[in-house]
Amino acid sequence: MSTAVKVEHLSKEYRLGVIGNGSLWKDIQSWTAKLQGKPDPWTKINEESRIGKRERFWALKDINFEVQQGERLGIIGRNGAGKSTLLKILSQITAPTEGVVKMRGHVASLLEVGTGFHPEFTGRENIYLNGAILGMSKADIDRNFDEIVAFSEIEPEFIDTPVKRYSSGMYVRLAFAVAAHLNSEILIADEVLAVGDVKFQEKCLGKMKEVSEKQGRTILFVSHNIGAVRQLCQIGILLEHGAIVFSGSADEVATEYVKEIGC
Amino acid sequence: MTSDKEAWDVVITPKRMWLGLNLKELRQYKDLIALMIRREFVSVYKQTIFGPLWFVFQPLMSTFLYMFVFGNIAQMGTDEIPQALFYFSGTMLWTFFATTLQKCSDTFINNAGLFGKVYFPRLTMPIAYVTNAFFTLLIQFAVMLVFYVYYLANGVQFSLSWWILTTPIYILQLALLGTGFGIMISALTTKYHDLRNLVSFGLSLLMYATPVVYPISSIPVRWKVLFQFNPVAPVIEMFRYSFFGKGSCNLKMWAYSLIVSVVVFLLGLMTFNHNEQTFIDVV
Repeated sequence: MSTAVKVEHLSKEYRLGVIGNGSLWKDIQSWTAKLQGKPDPWTKINEESRIGKRERFWALKDINFEVQQGERLGIIGRNGAGKSTLLKILSQITAPTEGVVKMRGHVASLLEVGTGFHPEFTGRENIYLNGAILGMSKADIDRNFDEIVAFSEIEPEFIDTPVKRYSSGMYVRLAFAVAAHLNSEILIADEVLAVGDVKFQEKCLGKMKEVSEKQGRTILFVSHNIGAVRQLCQIGILLEHGAIVFSGSADEVATEYVKEIGC
Repeated sequence: MTSDKEAWDVVITPKRMWLGLNLKELRQYKDLIALMIRREFVSVYKQTIFGPLWFVFQPLMSTFLYMFVFGNIAQMGTDEIPQALFYFSGTMLWTFFATTLQKCSDTFINNAGLFGKVYFPRLTMPIAYVTNAFFTLLIQFAVMLVFYVYYLANGVQFSLSWWILTTPIYILQLALLGTGFGIMISALTTKYHDLRNLVSFGLSLLMYATPVVYPISSIPVRWKVLFQFNPVAPVIEMFRYSFFGKGSCNLKMWAYSLIVSVVVFLLGLMTFNHNEQTFIDVV
């Protein structure tokens, strides 16, 4: 077994406050002052530079972990713990401020169900569009098309109707069906199961577990649903204020989390 | 434990790239690019009665309007090129440039939802926009040829020149300029939304600083210097010269405009590359 994901000293910093009126003008003034070697005119009193400590915020600080190929990692934590930021960095949506992430294999991320669905397009067209956005080739989709439609439980006569006429349940089922047939080695999923009815959620969890066990895919899964994490994942990490406070088996981490939030 | 020396497929670091096209990655996403082009193209006429005819209505209406306002009321010359052809060719080329620029400049803002949720090469969108504009141009070009044949049949003589063979270069130039300026602005608008308002306003003004509704020959000599700064002007003039054999053929200006096109495109690519990884934090 080899390492599929390796995260080293990962940190992400955000700048607080508003980028609003006059920020271009301020930026130019700060920049010209810097060129002339003068102090920044927008420095506040008792602050070292304009973007001082108070205007900065570390969403993630020095995160380190490794996931072996075929393992399913659950990432849990309260709102604002940095889970989504971590997934965004892993999905290459935003760059880290410090640190390195190394991954082996094709990565597909599922941060939202139905990303890139175009309401005017039919179900069939959207399967292709959505699949391509998630990194599938046309040949992959051709091969899996019937299976995707079957998995989504959408009656075949609806597949050539624009998705704007679908019920929200159909929309979500179709979207997840596409994602479930991604053939990437690493799958990153965030709260995607918060939608859909319980039965369909169960089916999705089952599908994810199945592809991971049979084809040795690595899954990184974020959820507030402790039950789902316990059911799907083997190992877990608990995030708090941008740092890992606990790691271990999924069960241990889930227990620790429940203890911490006190319910 | 596995050794660090093994090959990794994806390495994410804080480093930001300036120049460089990841062609290998773009090739991996060629199906997506094709679908995005289709999505852009088809969404123009989905659920419309006239369907794809919309691609030619707009330049036709503009041409009629220009014939009326600039040709009949203002009595502006057209270098003896039939008015319909003169205005149509100008509008067609200008629209190609302007649409590409405007669409590309909105890349990050219009796709923030998509870019915030999934990774694919961000250049996919500008490529789709410019290709889509190109297909529109092709359709309009076909319409222009219909006019052309009509005038030929009615005894109008056109002295076709060999320059007609460089038409693909004119189109490429407009594509480079439109995309270059567009992606440059797109990288800047993520932080300063002001630029966005400036673009649509600026483009409509810039059209009048380009020989779309008048020929360069009608410009007083002392103002001609200003035209040398406009890289789109020589392209439109050269196009007309190639097809209709009239108008100006200023090679010095054309060479300048070629260089500007390439430089603008490279600068655009640099700013785009530099911003694509972090734009989502400031949009």
